[in-house]
Order: sequence, then C-alpha cells, then structure tokens
Amino acid sequence: MNAPTPAFSGLRSTKFGSKLTWAIWFLLVVHAVVVLAGFVAPYSFETQEREHPYAPPTRLHFVDCSGKFHFRPFVYVTKASENDLNEYQQDCSQPAGIEFFAQGDRYTILGMFTSTRHLFGVQSPASLFLMGTDGFGRDQFSRLLYGGQVSLFAGFVAAAFSALAGLLLGGIAGMYGGRVDDMAMRFAEIFITIPWFYLLIAVRAFLPLQISPLTAFLLVVSVIGIVGWSRPARLVRGVILSARERNFVLAARGFGASNAYLLKKHLMPLTFRVLLTQMAVLIPQFILAEVILSFLGLGIGEPFPSWGNMLAQAQQYHVLVSYWWMLLPGLAPVPVFLAYHSLAETLQERIKSYI
Amino acid sequence: MTSGKLSLPKPEPLLRVSALSVDYDAVGGNMVHAVRQLDLEIAGGESVGVLGESGSGKSSLALAIIRLLPKNACVVSGRIDYRGRSLAEFSPAELRAMCGAEVSLISQEPALALNPVLSLGRQLADVLLAHRKFTRQEVKARCNEMLCQVGFDDPGRVMRAYPHELSGGQRQRVAIAQALICRPKLLIADEPFSALDAATQAEILELLQRLKRDLGLAMLFITHNAGTVAALADNIVIMREGEAIARGTMETLQASGDEYVQGILFPEKSLANATHKEQPLVSGAPLLQVQGLSKKFVQKRMLSRKQFVVQSLEGIDLELAAGSTVAVLGRSGSGKSTLARCLAGFEAPDLGEILLDGNPVTEKKRDPRWQTKVQMIFQDAATSLNPRFTARQVVAEPLEIARWKSEAERMARAMKLMEEVGLDPEWAARLAGEFSGGQRQRLSLARALAADPKLLIMDEALSGLDMPLQAQMVRLLMELQARHGLTYLYISHDLNFISLFAREVVVMNAGRIVERTTPEKLAESMHPATRELVEASERLHAPGMEAAV
Amino acid sequence: MIRYLARRAAHGLLMLFGVSILLFLLFQAAPGDFLSDARVNSQISAETLAQLRVQYGLDQPLPVRYWQWLKSSAKGEFGYSFAYNTPASTLLWPRARNTLLLSVPALLISWLIAVPLGVFAAGWKGRWADRLFSSGTSALLALPDVLIALLALLIALKTGIFPVGGMTSINAQDQGTWAWLRDLGWHMVLPVGAIVIGSLAIILRHVRASIIELMDSSYMRAAEGHGLPRFKLLFGYALPAAANPLISLFGLSVALLLSVSLLIEVVMSWPGIGPLLLEAIMARDLFVVIGAVMLSTVFLVAGNLLGDVLLYAFDPRIRRQA
Repeated sequence: MNAPTPAFSGLRSTKFGSKLTWAIWFLLVVHAVVVLAGFVAPYSFETQEREHPYAPPTRLHFVDCSGKFHFRPFVYVTKASENDLNEYQQDCSQPAGIEFFAQGDRYTILGMFTSTRHLFGVQSPASLFLMGTDGFGRDQFSRLLYGGQVSLFAGFVAAAFSALAGLLLGGIAGMYGGRVDDMAMRFAEIFITIPWFYLLIAVRAFLPLQISPLTAFLLVVSVIGIVGWSRPARLVRGVILSARERNFVLAARGFGASNAYLLKKHLMPLTFRVLLTQMAVLIPQFILAEVILSFLGLGIGEPFPSWGNMLAQAQQYHVLVSYWWMLLPGLAPVPVFLAYHSLAETLQERIKSYI
Repeated sequence: MTSGKLSLPKPEPLLRVSALSVDYDAVGGNMVHAVRQLDLEIAGGESVGVLGESGSGKSSLALAIIRLLPKNACVVSGRIDYRGRSLAEFSPAELRAMCGAEVSLISQEPALALNPVLSLGRQLADVLLAHRKFTRQEVKARCNEMLCQVGFDDPGRVMRAYPHELSGGQRQRVAIAQALICRPKLLIADEPFSALDAATQAEILELLQRLKRDLGLAMLFITHNAGTVAALADNIVIMREGEAIARGTMETLQASGDEYVQGILFPEKSLANATHKEQPLVSGAPLLQVQGLSKKFVQKRMLSRKQFVVQSLEGIDLELAAGSTVAVLGRSGSGKSTLARCLAGFEAPDLGEILLDGNPVTEKKRDPRWQTKVQMIFQDAATSLNPRFTARQVVAEPLEIARWKSEAERMARAMKLMEEVGLDPEWAARLAGEFSGGQRQRLSLARALAADPKLLIMDEALSGLDMPLQAQMVRLLMELQARHGLTYLYISHDLNFISLFAREVVVMNAGRIVERTTPEKLAESMHPATRELVEASERLHAPGMEAAV
Repeated sequence: MIRYLARRAAHGLLMLFGVSILLFLLFQAAPGDFLSDARVNSQISAETLAQLRVQYGLDQPLPVRYWQWLKSSAKGEFGYSFAYNTPASTLLWPRARNTLLLSVPALLISWLIAVPLGVFAAGWKGRWADRLFSSGTSALLALPDVLIALLALLIALKTGIFPVGGMTSINAQDQGTWAWLRDLGWHMVLPVGAIVIGSLAIILRHVRASIIELMDSSYMRAAEGHGLPRFKLLFGYALPAAANPLISLFGLSVALLLSVSLLIEVVMSWPGIGPLLLEAIMARDLFVVIGAVMLSTVFLVAGNLLGDVLLYAFDPRIRRQA
C-alpha cells in the first residue's frame, strides 16, 4: 500500500510561503511605523509653518553650494521668494544637518508614552518637509503617517466588525437552516442590492454631520462595518450549510455528538479560515471606503489628517495643477493594497484545497 | 477472440511505446513515478487491454500517448512512436491533427466529457470540422450516421439536444461517437465504464465490441475490471506500480502461476479461498427487526402549487440475525439508501418500527444507549472524513465524543484499530485528506469500530473502489466480522462478491422489497428486477470466468 | 421564458421595496434635523409648509410617512425637495439620465475590453503575456479611485485637450445638435475613461479566473484531446461554458461601476446622481437622498435583470429549469 501523499502545502511551502511571509512582514512594518507615527514623523500633524504654505518637498543634499561633500545629509533653509509666492529659494548660507533622535514637538504614542524625541529632524529655522506642505504649512509627511493611523486602522477595525457580524448572523442562518436561513438571506440580499458606496453614504448621511473626531472615527468604522456585513454572512452561511451535509458531520452525529461539539471541532475551524481570507479581501476595501468618505467630507474632519481629507485639498484646480506633492496621499494606499491583495490571493489558494 | 500473435514477420505496429517513464510533481515536492520503463505495442486492428489497480499508472499511460498529461506531469524518458514516427518529432499542428482524427480518447466520466452549454450536434460537428473540410450537408450526414452506429434511433433529436437532457449511458455513447467520427485508427478508452451503473456498463461494452468488429479499430483499453478486459482485448498487459509485470492473451495469463496476476484476474477466486461460508449461527432473537417502514419525500417548488411526492420506502419488513450478513440489492433509485439512513438514524421514517435487540431506535423514541450501536460506512470516502483531521483524530472521534477514558488511552486504542484494518500506525499523524480512497474507507471502518457497534451498514461502501481493492476490503470485512461478531447490512447495486459473504439477499425495487433469497438461488430467480441485476452482472464478467453469482 | 423573467422581475421589485423600507428605517433612526424649520428653505411659505407636512405625513409615525411616500412615488413625484422647493423627481430624472450617459458606455467598454483580454490571458496562462497582464491588473487594482479621478482632472487641466469637468460647455446648446453632441462627447471622454480604469482590473481578473477554472474541467480537456484548435477552444467552448459565472459577474460589475461613477461624477463635476446625493446630504434634503439611493438601486436591479436575460439566452440548463 502506498504511503499517504501530502495533499496540503504547509505554511513553509516554497511556492506560497515566500509571497505570504513578504506580505505579512510588510504589513506588520507599515502598521508599526504608523502606530509610532509620533516618533517617526518629524512634526506633529497640526504644526503650522505659516511662512511655508504649499512648500515643495525639501531637497536633501550631500554636496553643498561650494562643492564640498558631507556625510550627513543636510537641507538649506528656504524662504518664499518675493516675486512669486510659489517659488521657494534655498539660502546657501544656512545649512542644517539632519539630526537623528532630534528634539521636536511633543507627542503621545498609544496614549501611554509621551516624548519629544523624534527619529529625525532639523533645527529650526530650517525645515524638513519630505513631502512638502499644504495650504496651512503643515508637513505632509508627518500628516501622512498620522493619517495612516486613521485610514489603516479604520479599515482593519471595520473589517473585524463586519467579519464578526457576518460570523454571528451567517452562523445562525447556517446552523438553523429553514425559515431562519431564508429570512436572514433575504435581509442580506437587500443590503447587497444597493450599490455599495451609495449605501455607505446614505447610512452616513442619516447620522449627525458635525461631530468630534473621535466619535467620527468610531462612527465611520461602525458604518462601514455594518454596511459590509452581508457578504461575510453569506459566505459563512454557505460554508456551514455545506459542511453540515458532509458525511463526516453526519457520522459524528451518529456517534452522539452535540451541536456544540460539531461547531467546535468541525465547523468553526473551517469557518475561521474562510473568514480570515475574507478579511484580507475586505480590509483594503474598507480602507478605501474610509478614504473616500473623508475625501467627501463625511469622514474624519479637520484638523485630524486622514489620507482622504488630505486628498480633498487637491480637488481645487490650482492646487492640482501647481502642487503635485498634494497627490502623494493618494499613492500611499497603493503598497498597502498590493500587500493585502497578495495576502488574500495566497490565502484563497490554500483554502481551495479543502472546500 | 482473435490472437494477435502470428509467426510471420510483423508489419510496423500502429503504436509503439518504448521504455516510457512519466513522473508527476505532486504537492509537497514529491516526485511520483507513475510509469516506469514501459514497453507496449499495438498493431493495426489489435486491441490491447491494460489491467491494473488504481495508482498503477494506467491512466498516465493513456494521457501520455494523447499528449494530454496535466501540467504537473512530464514524460521523463522513453519514446512513443505512432506509425513509426516518434511523437516528440511531431509539430504542434501535426499533433493536433493526430488527436481526434488518428488517435482518440474516451475518458472516464462521460457526464463531464461534454460541454454542458453547447448542443451535442455542434460538439460532434466541431470534431469533424477540426480535421477535415466538409459542407454542412456532409457534416450532418456523417453525424447522423455516427449516432446511428452507436445505437441511437433518432439521431436528429440527439443532435439538437444538450448533455443534461440525456442519461449517463446515452452521454457515453455520444462521447464514443465524438471519438470515432473521424474514423481514427486507434481508440484509447480510459476506464469508460466506471461511472456507469451495471446495466449501462453492459450496454456500452456490447457497443464497443460491435464497433471493434465493424470498424476494425485498434484499441487501447484501460480498466481495473478483469471481466471487461476479457470481453474486449486480444492481448492483455498487467500493470503494477508503473511497470508492466505480465503480458499475454487471456489464456496464457490464466495459466500463469503468479499470485498477483491471479489476484487481479480473478479477485473472487482469491477470496473464495479465504472465506468461510459457515458463519456461526447465532440463535435467539434477531438483532435487527424492521416492521412496516415507510417514508416519502415531498419536493416543493417555491411559489408553485405543484408538489412532487416520491415514495421512497413502502412497507419494508426485514430481520437480521446477529452475526450474519444481509445484502440489499437494487438499481439506483430503488430506495436502498433511504433504508440505510433510516436504519442508521439519520432520517425519521413516516411509519413503521425499527427494533435493535428489542429496543426501538426510530428517531422519536431513540434510546441513547443504542445510538452508537448502529454505524454506517458511506460510499464517498472523500466526504466521510474531515480532511483536516489527523488519522488518529478520525479514528478516535467516537471515543472522544463519548469521553471514553483518558486522552492517551483513546489514542492508543485508535492506533490499535488502525492496525486492525490494515493501516500502518506510523501514519497516525498524517492528515486524512492525504490518504487514498481505499485507505480512507479503512479509516472509516476503524472509526466505526471504535464506536463498538453491533450492526454495520455499508451503503455502497465499496462501489467506488476498483476490483482488486474491493476484494481486499471484502476479505478485511469478513475477518472483522469473525473477530468481533459484527452484523452487516451490505447495500449495493452490483453483485460482486455477494455470494461469498452474504447469507441472505434482499432485492428492492421502487421502494419495496420484491424478493428475498439466498445468493445461490439468485441466478434462478424469475423476478424482473432481480433478473435485470443478474444479467447486467453476467455481461460484465466474461464467460469462462467464475461469475460473481 | 416570460414566466422566468416575470419571476425575476417580481423578485427585483420585492428587493426594491425592501430597500425603500430599509432607507426609511434608517431615516427613523436619524436625529430630527431633517424636519427642523431652520433647515428648510426660507422661500417656502408657511402655508405650503403646513400643506407639505400633511401631504407627506411628516409629523406622523413611520408607516404613515412611508405610505405617503409610496403614493407620491406612484404619482411620479418621489417626495419633495425642501432645499429646492420642487418635487424630488424634477431633480432626479435629469441626473439619472446623466449618470446613465456615463455608466452605460463605461460598462460596455469595460466588458468589451475585459472579455477578449481575459480569455487570452487565460489561454496563455503562465507565459510572459499573462504575467505582464497579472502585474498590470494588480497595479491598477491597487490604485485608489480617488486618485484616478484626480489624475483625470489633472490631465484635463494640463493638456487642455479635454474640458475640465462639467457636462457641457456654456454655449454648446446654441450651436445646433451636431455640435452639441460633439461637445458632450468631449466632456464624456475623461469621466468614462476614469470609470473604466477604476473598474476594469476587477472584471479582467474575474474573467481570467473563470476561464482558467474551466480550462481544467473534463470537457475542455476532452475537447483538446479531439484536436480542436486553440482559438475555437477558448472562444467557442470555454467562453460559452463560462457564461454562467460571467453573467453573475455582470451584475456585480454594474454595482461596482455605479459606485465608482459616484466618485468620478463628484470630482469631475458631472451632474449625475452622485453630486446630487452629496448636496442633498449636506442640505439634509431627506426625500432627495432616499430618491437618489433608490434610483441607483433601480439601475442595479435592472442590470441584474439584464443579466438574467442573458443567462437565459446562453445557458441551456437555465432554460430547462425555467
């Protein structure tokens, strides 16, 4: 008799493993950086440099105006030129080296650690605007990092929300079948019948518009999560319904298994895997949802940055044409999405082998 | 049967396979050597049967010839010559021209070999047009002619029909028509019968015999069923684990002394030696009593007044003596599975009583102590085990649910049971999904035994396995029965091995029991339903071999 | 055939009712801003206000309000816009037409590109063409729609070839039908292009995935074994067999397209349902909000119904069941 041949690729299988691990590591790093935004960003998200509105990204130099090479990268102090407010000129006489672990604005991480030490920065009057500034002279790079906190985690939490709601409702529908299932599925279908963004905006619309930023965050997350519950619910219900009919579940019943046992040993492990894969698909969608809501003014509002409301400024024609760096927040989600997509792809491949 | 061996110098064979080796790149990085150094020759008009167990590499051989190997397989060495030219030298266009026109393949599952959204006439015509230029009338004429040859009375209707409108046997005929419409020289038939029920299998076999005669086809015919090989093949090659271990005509092989060859050709014979028909007669009250069992299913369409009532069981009376084996036979749709499910407690009957050792076990009046005493082995091994459980977990599950003793003792018992059913306890930590079909059935058996049952219901449990494997399983079942004093209810649609281990045979048709008899008297029965089953079985086993009945 | 369609249409209608009820329930949960006098347009006289209150049952419990709205919709008015002092329908219909002007071409173009490309990619799976294709779609998928919209605007601003936003130029109407149509066309190019780019990647991937899944099935391999040429295999055998999953994809794509077009319309100032919805939200103009969402849902249901018709035409198994 032949020995059983491995049918499922393990976590370390070369074909899937590397893509999967890359994606996970990348996402972990990005989220860590964003959580530590206070430290990594040279400025706070509200600090305004009134003298530098719409400043282009600061140029880093290794060679100074006289041709000398320095190891430590440095910047020149810039000043708006008198002729054209859009032009900034560098002042060769005022170089400022980039310092690591420099002193800067006060910040708090996770509401627990407070410090004034930043990963890098420059001494004033020099400024280090890696991605330029907006109309109020706020550093876009720092705001990007802080905004990442909002956008990334809004997506994540909303997806968890959706998944949980889907698990509960889909699980009940699947386990009980019959009438309960029919009703639940009709209900879910109503949500699916409305084009997603329309539903999102409508739900958001019916809630108060002027609210504090923290409430706004929670609100946005809940709205996105609630609106998105129907797809996970259908998925879970489908998995549980088909698993229930499998002979191994019947056999277990024949051994006297209770519903609780069936759930715990047979149905839940399968469902969790499916749900996890679904989350990898949902999170980028929900991040996008938050970005769009904030872009339209229905999400997180000033002064808190979100990638969405940062992009909103680019809607003005003069900004769009002259200040290209204002579009950078639109590119920020791209690597994150790529990572989530490849995560979702590999997870989906692995699930196929046993559904 | 004509013999292909003459003493004159042979003309160039139609197909020559020399030292062919095919490897599969299985998941997990293992290399599986499906075919090893195989030699094979087929002359024009000759039919060669390749016989072997599943996993012996026969299908890979067929696919390699017609260049349809899946992406993860490759021809590692050797060559295949068609009419003297190596296939490796053919250009892609020539290969495409060859497939379907010179060499054709009929595959295993006729239901799936036809595109469900295109009409059959279109699919037939496309094969024709891919290889030759014809006018519309010519195409139509050829298709009609071919369909008549494969046994259709109304070819026009078939041309307009879609696959789902035909039965399994009819679809296989259309697939055969597709394969033959360009008048190929060589037909490769890869297990063309396994997905069909016994009666249909017999019909298709006759068809192939007739076509072979009428068209002078050369055939490469692959199967695990020795009976069909005997009916169709001039020469036989027996494969085992990728190698050809024996060749010859039926007569020469029959006379061979090799044990494996004998086992493959006459699986029943090998069993007959090992069985004892005299089962210890247990006197006293019967173990299982079924009285007046009835069940019907109602199908309703949503928003429609129409109701579909299917009377699945009607007035079933049955008695099983402890330690005996009763076989329940019938065509698909006769109600056997419903009976099994009612007895196992998965469905509640509408009327009637089921008593186990005098205790009622119908769902409503279930006595929990008897719940595990009746166990079922399902037909589809793939879905009867959770593929993500380890073998140990699978077998120990009943003990786990009943919280029997301690974890360590449960695992120990599980390993012992695995050994008892013939599985290496070393594999206890492997995932169930990694085991082959036959191995999974053994795991199911071990699991059922763990529940310490008195009655085992086998619902077509062996139907999906190939003949040699079925023989092994039957031997195992009989050993277990003798050792543990089990009672079997064996449900099937075909008669393999029934005579060897069933004491009583019950024939079902349309929800009722129409005959009760013993295996010996089965062949003499006059009841139409029984005759149908018997005749189908006889046609599948060529005369000269000991038939199952 | 008629019965099948009637059943599907009835189902769609049922869904629409469900949606409208859901929206009204949401409205119920909203705080009372919608009705406060301060929000209401000052141009509405007190008597009209009182009359409206009665007509739409604004002070009544929810079921009454819903019923009044239904009656009003049956009359074709779909409620009243407090911000513009006119029945909601007068605002909704022109916007609906404009949204269709963008969505329908975008839908057609997306599918016309996606199907052949997707089938080709599936047929040449693993070769360089397919890999290029995969990276391309991955990149497109990861681009946020907002960015695409802004880039479209940027192109208009920088190159000056296309008009920047809006639907028509100021004096286009005066220059005769032909010139007006050309003007409309120029205005449509960028928005439609942006919508196509935003939704193409997903459709492409799904098409390719559906075909690939099919290529492995027994009947495709059998057809290959019969020597059918590759082109015929892909387009004559795989594509029809893929009709079922692809047509369900069609329904999904309509939903996707409508969502994408909302954003594009807003950013590019195209007077479709999207900007109307946004305005109505800011103005707390309840009936217009509900009307706009219902309208988009109607489009989706219509799209699904179209999908059902196509499915009936292409899949003989559905025909038999129906």
